[in-house]
Amino acid sequence: MKPATSLNNVVICRRCDAALSKPNIQPGHKAICPGCGALLFELKKNPMERTMAVSLAGLLLFFPAILLPMIGVSAAGAHNEASLIDCIVILLNSGYHIVALIVFLFTIAIPIVHLLAAFYIAVAVHFNKISQSLLVFFRSYHVLDSWTMLHVFFLGVIVSIYKIVDLAELTVGGGLISFVLLLICSTLVSVTLDHYYVWEKMEQALED
Amino acid sequence: MEAENQQCPRCHRTFSTRKINSLSHTFAWTIAALVMLVPANLYPMMIYYTLGKPEASTILEGIATFVQFGMYPVAIVIFIASFVVPLAKIIGLFILMYHAKRASKLTVKQQGQLYHIVEFLGPWSMLDVFVVAIMAAVVNLGFLSSIEAAKGITYFGLMVVFTMLAAESFDARLLWDVQKDDVQKDDVQKENSQNENTCKHPPQPPSDVGLNQASQHDSP
Repeated sequence: MKPATSLNNVVICRRCDAALSKPNIQPGHKAICPGCGALLFELKKNPMERTMAVSLAGLLLFFPAILLPMIGVSAAGAHNEASLIDCIVILLNSGYHIVALIVFLFTIAIPIVHLLAAFYIAVAVHFNKISQSLLVFFRSYHVLDSWTMLHVFFLGVIVSIYKIVDLAELTVGGGLISFVLLLICSTLVSVTLDHYYVWEKMEQALED
Repeated sequence: MEAENQQCPRCHRTFSTRKINSLSHTFAWTIAALVMLVPANLYPMMIYYTLGKPEASTILEGIATFVQFGMYPVAIVIFIASFVVPLAKIIGLFILMYHAKRASKLTVKQQGQLYHIVEFLGPWSMLDVFVVAIMAAVVNLGFLSSIEAAKGITYFGLMVVFTMLAAESFDARLLWDVQKDDVQKDDVQKENSQNENTCKHPPQPPSDVGLNQASQHDSP
């Protein structure tokens, strides 16, 4: 189905829902909503390459971020350290299945699918291999956006460190460093992924 | 209704001009969240064991402890993230639902902002759940001191998920409908007028002039 011709030149502001006529802008420029000042869309040069690189880096960082210990404590000869996966396992072992599921979903499962979707989209659009399934990926990418909580988890780590610091001696593990890098990557993915460009390319490819 | 079953030419998903039963879904999730808020605050979030002696603390008790020890920054962060924000979110959702039914003194712009604040705050209240998860895993020094998660955490986690679902099922466009109805002096029930708008009128760009007129109309 082709879009109604009258709507081809319409952009909807994602923040204030205003319907505006689509401006013609040059690559490297941004279009701003006159009502609320939100970014409508932006034309970047080589839009997919950065997303590809950053999302791949993020996916690779996931393994150390989950498996390596994040923080360790030691006091009076006793020592203990825990990784993100340990947090979930301990919750499971003490019978908090729902909480374990919540932590697993929002800090591991959803961020991984989110990054994977971004990577797949970037690769497919870059090499012009656009299929019907890409639509599903891009839609799920949008839905998952509000459910990734890596940043909240990171604040949780900081608060925990602050809480423990008086209690025992603290060590910071490789897990935390990987996690910070992962957080940077996942933020960069959201910043660099050019939705407008992706939709336009998909529309073109699927029409043929 | 033909408008309900159109397919988006871009993403090929069937769409409806309005989220279906938005208000009742939002209401249901908000009530569920409100119900969860009570045990979340009454039951302890975690149990500290120091030298084998257990000490349980609820959210507010935990904050009180921080204040006692003079750790004000953490006390403020936890107080905002796990007490003020969840409560504010639920109240905000109720305000939005109330105003989706009738015109209010707040302008549509302010209500829109309120909605976006509620939406934005969603994930941040998960903070306390993560803190407990980390603390329970890390602080495990045998007899010396250890931390365990406690009952309240489950309710708190569910409460956060429910408020997020509530915010997601709320259709911000309902706020615009009320303004339109009010200008038209339309007394037909909300549901009906919603359908009329759906079928007859194409999406109209909200203009600032219209907004001001509408809000002047509202004020008594």
